[in-house]
Amino acid sequence: MANELIAAAFLLWLAAAALALIGWATIARALLAAGGLLAIAAAFVALPAGTDAVILPTTLAGEAVGFRLAPDALWLMGFGLVPAILACALSTTGQGQRGWLLGASASLIGALGVFGLQNGTAFLVAWEVMSLGGAVMLLGERLVQRPGRPVLFMLALLEVGAVALLVAFLLLGAKTGSFAFAGFPAAGAALPEPVRVIVWLLLIAGFGAKLGLLPFYEWFPGAYGSGSGATGALMSGVVLNAAFFALGRTLSEWMPTGTPGLGIFLVLFAVLSAILTALYAFQQEDWRALLSFSSAENAAIAVTALGAALLFRADGAPVLSGLAWTVALLHLAGHALAKGGLFLAADGVFRATGSYAVVQGSVLRRSFWPFGVGALFAAASLAAMPPQAGFVSEWYVFQTVFQGFHLTTLGARLTLAIAGAGLALTAAVAFATFVKVFGLGLLGRAASRVPPVPGGIVAAVATLGLAVLALAVGMPHWLGSLDQAVAGRFGADTVRNMQVGLVLVPGTGAPIDPAKTFAFISPSLLVVVMPLLALIPVIFLVLSRGFAHRRSAVWYGGLDHDPDRASTTALTFSNALRTFYGFIYRPQVHTARETNGQRYFIRRLVFTHDVAPVFGRSLFRPTVALVLFLAERLRALQSGNLNFYLALIGLLLVVILGLSLT
Amino acid sequence: MSAPEPPMDALRERPAAARPRHASRIEEAAIAPAALPDAVRGLLDAGGRMQMAYARWAAPGRLELRYLASQGDGQPFLLWRCPVDGEVPSLADIAPLLGWYEREITDLYGLRFADHPEPHRLVLHEGADIPVPPLDPRYPADRPATVRPVPHRTPEVAGAESDVQLLPYGPVRADVVESGEFLFFYLGEHIIHYHPQLFFKHRGMEQRFEGGDPARAVVLAERVSGVGSLAHALAYCQAIEAAAGCEVPKRAGWLRVLLAELERLYNHLHYLGHLADTTTLKVGQAEGRLLEERVKQINARLTGSRFLRSLLVPGGLRRDLAVGPWLRDALERVRHEAAIYTRLLDDSGSFLDRLITTGPLDRKTAFDQGATGPIERASGLDRDLRRDHPYAAYGELPVAVPLREAGDANARFQVRVAEIDASIVLMQRVLLLLPDGPPRAPCPPPQGGFGLGWAESPRGSLFYAVHLDGDGRLARVKIKSPSFSNWRVFPFTVHDSNMMDYAINEASFGLTIAGCDR
Amino acid sequence: MALWTLFGLTRGSASTRWPRGNGEDGQDGLLGMPRYHPERCDEGCRACAEACPTHAITMRDDGLLDIDYGRCVVCQLCAEACPTGAMEASQDWAFGVRRREDLAWRAEPASPAPAAAATGAFKRSLHIRHVDAGSCNGCESELQALNNPFYNLHRLGIFFTASPRFADLLLVTGPVTQPMLEPLRATYEAMPEPRWVMAVGTCAVSGGVAGGGYAAGHGLKGVLPVDLYLPGCPPNPAAIIEALLMFLDRVPQRVRGGRYGE
Repeated sequence: MANELIAAAFLLWLAAAALALIGWATIARALLAAGGLLAIAAAFVALPAGTDAVILPTTLAGEAVGFRLAPDALWLMGFGLVPAILACALSTTGQGQRGWLLGASASLIGALGVFGLQNGTAFLVAWEVMSLGGAVMLLGERLVQRPGRPVLFMLALLEVGAVALLVAFLLLGAKTGSFAFAGFPAAGAALPEPVRVIVWLLLIAGFGAKLGLLPFYEWFPGAYGSGSGATGALMSGVVLNAAFFALGRTLSEWMPTGTPGLGIFLVLFAVLSAILTALYAFQQEDWRALLSFSSAENAAIAVTALGAALLFRADGAPVLSGLAWTVALLHLAGHALAKGGLFLAADGVFRATGSYAVVQGSVLRRSFWPFGVGALFAAASLAAMPPQAGFVSEWYVFQTVFQGFHLTTLGARLTLAIAGAGLALTAAVAFATFVKVFGLGLLGRAASRVPPVPGGIVAAVATLGLAVLALAVGMPHWLGSLDQAVAGRFGADTVRNMQVGLVLVPGTGAPIDPAKTFAFISPSLLVVVMPLLALIPVIFLVLSRGFAHRRSAVWYGGLDHDPDRASTTALTFSNALRTFYGFIYRPQVHTARETNGQRYFIRRLVFTHDVAPVFGRSLFRPTVALVLFLAERLRALQSGNLNFYLALIGLLLVVILGLSLT
Repeated sequence: MSAPEPPMDALRERPAAARPRHASRIEEAAIAPAALPDAVRGLLDAGGRMQMAYARWAAPGRLELRYLASQGDGQPFLLWRCPVDGEVPSLADIAPLLGWYEREITDLYGLRFADHPEPHRLVLHEGADIPVPPLDPRYPADRPATVRPVPHRTPEVAGAESDVQLLPYGPVRADVVESGEFLFFYLGEHIIHYHPQLFFKHRGMEQRFEGGDPARAVVLAERVSGVGSLAHALAYCQAIEAAAGCEVPKRAGWLRVLLAELERLYNHLHYLGHLADTTTLKVGQAEGRLLEERVKQINARLTGSRFLRSLLVPGGLRRDLAVGPWLRDALERVRHEAAIYTRLLDDSGSFLDRLITTGPLDRKTAFDQGATGPIERASGLDRDLRRDHPYAAYGELPVAVPLREAGDANARFQVRVAEIDASIVLMQRVLLLLPDGPPRAPCPPPQGGFGLGWAESPRGSLFYAVHLDGDGRLARVKIKSPSFSNWRVFPFTVHDSNMMDYAINEASFGLTIAGCDR
Repeated sequence: MALWTLFGLTRGSASTRWPRGNGEDGQDGLLGMPRYHPERCDEGCRACAEACPTHAITMRDDGLLDIDYGRCVVCQLCAEACPTGAMEASQDWAFGVRRREDLAWRAEPASPAPAAAATGAFKRSLHIRHVDAGSCNGCESELQALNNPFYNLHRLGIFFTASPRFADLLLVTGPVTQPMLEPLRATYEAMPEPRWVMAVGTCAVSGGVAGGGYAAGHGLKGVLPVDLYLPGCPPNPAAIIEALLMFLDRVPQRVRGGRYGE
């Protein structure tokens, strides 16, 4: 049943791509959304067991291609597709519907392949289709004048990753003589230690390029920032989840239990990524750039949990490994919903104000209230505020790293302690970030009159916001569908022990009893209790009715001031951190003063500022220079014609196929 | 621990005797508007400096501009009389400090200067409703120029302008302070541009003098700036005395020095307390304020007024002062305590750390914008009216003029510390050598005439230009207060600085708003 | 920093105990409003009225004087001009009154004692928002002195506050210049009730020397309802403290009908 649904989804997406090419955009949008719904239905049907393995009716490079969606794949795909469906239904805010829809269908098809394909060649093709789908979305929607540069930068880094994956697969496949994933675990175990480390690093680099691990996150702000929120909802949802699943399954299945060293490396690497991306997210003043850094941060948190899972496994603690892996899955599920909600809210802001800038713009007060509720729930989740899904998963992340004391080696224990500290910093910065996004970008007031956010976006954002809450409140129920996913991967039935009635616990003690564990939460109960807190101000309000009221304006030192000019800006909000972490941001502020010739008579101030990316100077600038040089050389080929780009993409596919055949 | 003394910034003092006495005090010359730019350039090239500009009605419907300038060392003041016939060029580009004076003339008399770089209102607010300029004779008597709230004129911000926050502060500000609005264009901490919006307290004091009795108007001069009461009264009286050509008895001249130095003393002690407050040195603040209170109580005991009011009159002092040994002892005690206090301040690393390199004022800006008093002397400009253009009994006394080069808040602090001691030394000398004689000589106001009076107030150079009419009444009184000059300079030390340093920097300037706004 | 602590400790307390016990008020030798002795007045002598720069002294048809201490700037010119000592220099500076009429000396007998304002609940602690509405900075200098160690206003439970939202009393100085009119009203408007207004200094009471003209007003009359008047130019810190304590019913009002200390 599930496989049929998946096949139908695939065909609908394929049809949507074709219709998009010939310009039937509305139908294509409907088909994309319908395909997404079918795929979600498949997840519902197949969880918690996963789909049955099938052999696709085609061979690639002389090998049969297997397809199976593991339960964790279904979980990540299902939650990733919720914002994707809404994004596809709403489509881009740019001019180029056709190109965007084509790219979206490619992304979805590619992601489906990444989730399910069990053959190296086919996987790489799907991987490339997914990457290029993103590029086609960005180039196709024609939101900015020249999306070329950031998209090229993104593609360049993704291709670095793709090549890394290819090499890793070749190293693994060389052992078995086949690209079928079934043989890779044995091949991985048979590899000599140094080669295994190389493969390991190659896999991290390959998938990290998509996840935005250090240093690859630097393509995020540019690429996301040249696209619409809908693009972001896809790329930060189903695509990101696919990449994470691929990383998790390759590292957990193919690489033998091994030494804890690699786990330590992965945890530290991911925590550092999380800190840096959280700090950068806080400084962004563009909705999409900010949210994209936040996506990289959340992916890094999930990778931290993955690293912890590997550490625990190396230490022979499968229960804790299972906990860590569950936590990663929970985290990305909540993230996909919440981030999708905010990306679509960004589209709403753009529709209302014509800009993606995080500035005070009276968006919320002019829009239908469910928009605000949805955005608030989504932002609260990303800020890890109770009772939202982000709070649950963030709490679980901390509970996981706190289990580090179970580890036997000092290095591993220390690593998780450091990770805890790093994640605490990340969480604090993320909190401030989403206060900024919601407080300035939506709640902020402005004198200018803006039109309300369109109804479709209101509905989508509200849906996603409620979905975030539903995920949290229904967590005791949802957890059950991960049972087999974790048991299958780490051989531990952790999940069953992570809940006692409506109460969530880390699931590590036995017997599990809320009375015997010092850590427990219950979003399901919180959602009942928290509104009770609102009674206090309500009581005050009622009590104050008996007194006479006199309203007087805000006192600004005796004069009325234009609140637009006197209110906090995105830059001043984040200035303190920017100054404190100046060694990371290396902030640059420049004020040019235009005078009449005498420096004392200033007429105009031209103010500019920037934060310098850490890797920009040392690592990427030469690369970018090279890419730009090549782009310059290839300018003759750049006709600006979408069909031409598509031809180029096709060519790249052929090249990859050719490479994998040799 | 104290910071090492930079060799360039050594305290320099030059005794008055090193400068030649000048015979004539003012050189007057008539000049045509078109000749002004070249004349100002020539003056600047010769090492001179513009002091002020003002307008007056030379005859009904006929305006006359007057420009006052200092020439080089030891030379008399230069006064240009410029009849307004046709277009008058703005001199702000040549001598930037004149920019504010020209704007004031435009506000009050309606005369526009050609090519003024900032052709906006200054002493009148943008929203002030006036049928004709207020000093135009056609202006209805006692008609208030009501003010409509209009956004202040500030430089336009371009580039990433939506990132720049405007922080309006005032005019009613925290603590007990004078009214004035400060606009900061800032980024949370970093100030990129600072605009003080002053003249909320403009009372039209110059106009209040007009038609008044010259002797009684001392009361008015004493109330232009409360903490500069004595200096204002002194400069005003000297202007009347200059117009009338009367001699002040010797004893009165010496007592005037004593009073002027008492005013400097309590102001500087207040300054130290305030500066310690902004650097959160609470005991230091308390001690500075306590010493200030001591001197104010000495003032009251000596003169009956804590602000040394109701004493000066054209021709001398209204009454003689009982300067017994108590005064000498009281001053000696203040000197002793102030010495301990200032040494302790100078030994506080946390205090000096916050002053050194804060709010640097370079010598050129100080000169161009007309910084005066301790502010200019902390930026290496060696000027002091007491020594350069002696009045009262200063010509007979050695006036030490402490000087610093660094131009930062610390230099301004050091100059004032040195002036406290120099001031007490000067007073002790006056008490020792005070001649006997009458405190007052008759000084009837002349029928018509002009007089210029000046004084080195605690905050810098103060000028009164007084014109009398045919009945011996005041026709025009122009007040150039030191804070008017120093407020013009101050913003240039704030642009591109830090919010944390702002209060310290402002305190280190020791500005008053009443004197500036008048 | 330890040095400062030690320094502070060795200096000891500098605060006066005044107005309690035998504390010093710190105003030795200070001249206050000249005191009027009508019995010394010569028939037809108008020297003091002519000398007064703010027209605080006016000659009546019956040869007596009307004196409005709310206009007196303590310049002492009348006392110097008076040939008979009818206007005599004095140390009468504690001139805080609740009603404007009490500042005016008239031949008629003194008016009955004014009703106390409802300040009972604030007797022990009062918060003040100060607004400079165009003063010469003399009043500010004395208000700042209130917090110096000698007067140490805090010991009396009286504080200055930054926000009018926390203030009980609006303390205004200056003749109210045109640009300050709106900010002053806005500050009053921002205060919660009950709220009171105090006019400090002759400028705020009547306009003083600066009142009138194109820029300055005539004090708070017609601008805000005033509950406490304190003329003086400037009133010294002790006078301000005494006026505040009088307002809080902690000391009696000294001046009634322009007569001091009755």
